[in-house]
Amino acid sequence: MNIIPQLIINSIIAGAIYSLVALGFNLIYGATKFFNLAHGVMATVGGYAVFVLSKVLGFHIGVSVILGVLCAGFVGYGLDKIVYLPLRKKRASNMILLVASLGVFTALEAIIAILFTSQFRTLAQHIGTQRIYEVGSAIITQTQVIILIASLVLMAILGFVLKKTMFGKAVKAVSDDEEVAKIIGINTNKIIGYVFFIGSAIAGLAGILIGFDTGIEPVMGLRLLLKGVIASIIGGVGNIYGGVAGSFLLGLVENFGIWKISAEWKDAIAFVVLIIFLLFRPKGIFQK
Amino acid sequence: MAILKTNKLTKHFEGVHAVDGLSLNIEKATIVAIVGPNGSGKTTLVNILTGMIPYDSGTVIVSDTTHRLKKIKPYTMYSYGLTRTFQEVRLFDQMSVRDNILVVLTKRKVIQSFFETQKSDYTKAANKILQKVGIWEKRNELAKNLSYGQRKLLEIARALVTQAEIFLFDEPFAGLFPEMRKMVSHIVAGLKRKGKTVILIEHDMDVVRELSDYIYVMDSGRLLATGTPREVLSNKEVREAYLGT
Repeated sequence: MNIIPQLIINSIIAGAIYSLVALGFNLIYGATKFFNLAHGVMATVGGYAVFVLSKVLGFHIGVSVILGVLCAGFVGYGLDKIVYLPLRKKRASNMILLVASLGVFTALEAIIAILFTSQFRTLAQHIGTQRIYEVGSAIITQTQVIILIASLVLMAILGFVLKKTMFGKAVKAVSDDEEVAKIIGINTNKIIGYVFFIGSAIAGLAGILIGFDTGIEPVMGLRLLLKGVIASIIGGVGNIYGGVAGSFLLGLVENFGIWKISAEWKDAIAFVVLIIFLLFRPKGIFQK
Repeated sequence: MAILKTNKLTKHFEGVHAVDGLSLNIEKATIVAIVGPNGSGKTTLVNILTGMIPYDSGTVIVSDTTHRLKKIKPYTMYSYGLTRTFQEVRLFDQMSVRDNILVVLTKRKVIQSFFETQKSDYTKAANKILQKVGIWEKRNELAKNLSYGQRKLLEIARALVTQAEIFLFDEPFAGLFPEMRKMVSHIVAGLKRKGKTVILIEHDMDVVRELSDYIYVMDSGRLLATGTPREVLSNKEVREAYLGT
């Protein structure tokens, strides 16, 4: 059997997931210029919010997903207002913000583990009844199709918002020079708050989709964050389009890398790619 | 009518009196020059007036309302009708020349700006102002690729499009070619004709003499002299301390 089509499908799905994480990560980095390590846990928040809403409270799955995405967005927004904004007002360095975000990450992950235990859970309603499509000699599940469509649609929407709307221009202005943005009348703290909401909501959606595809666990955020960060570095940190390209490249390298070897090498391959980029192209593939 | 007043404004930086008990009274629809040697506190004053740094004591009154800028965020100064340019030009370098103007037109309500696309009247307004300062041909280039003079002109254009009442221009003529200086001079005079107030931080005394209605001379954070250009430029103390003649 020819395995290449399946590897391509797997690469695209992995790329789609990573790009959802990288989109939000780059959006937030662009506006604030710090590595928000708590971004990974937003995926966990989204996944567990849907778990509670659909499996514990019995909400309709569609409603649960929407509320789960909003929940992750509001947690991100709240973190900005409660933790990062006061630090920014005190002119805290990016290193302090990074450490604070690491603290937030650890705390939220621990709270989720305490509340839900470390048990692996799935969000799928009827396990094993998922529709499967054949693409040549490869197969793709219904959830994976949804992951792909969701990430493409979100990329298009985010691209449109940033390029065509006045909000997008304000975000770019804040990314470029926050102080000057204030001088021309932009409420930069408000803009950054919305950026946190959008970025975290997208990460929340990533966590939810993974929950339907494979499952959720309290520690899922770290792995997602690392892949999102690697994809961002490959594509150029802060560049959302670069992050998407980096995500798909990472997906391809990871999946083709384990063609002849054990799948456990996947993470090692990702970090080798990261080191190669850090050594030879630290500003990413779109570096000028 | 005074549009901007400061009363005993003070700012210290680690023991240095950057602004020391400064009282200004700036009339509406005038061009006021603030001159003084480097380190005399001119830029600190502009930074205070635009809310970029808090001041230690004193009062600032904008448009007849007392605003304690220490408690005011810089973006709110925009709503009080103040805008500025910088001594070292600061643009949104990663944005196109036209987007540097369009971003000023963004709705200040964040949610509204989400659903607001680049309307044709915004584009028209941006094109008009870029034509006025002579850099319309560069509208699609990234701001970082402009020459120094063009960057200065774009920064002035960005200030103009804010529709502010008070314009604080920090050395707008520095490093400009003669034809560009002429254009900026024309723009500054035009603002006064439209009833706007211009505060010029300027080293070039020929420009100050030609354009300003009133001059404040600063030295070590204090006022050394005030008056009309004729009065100030004939002041012996000023000539000795600042002009070196």
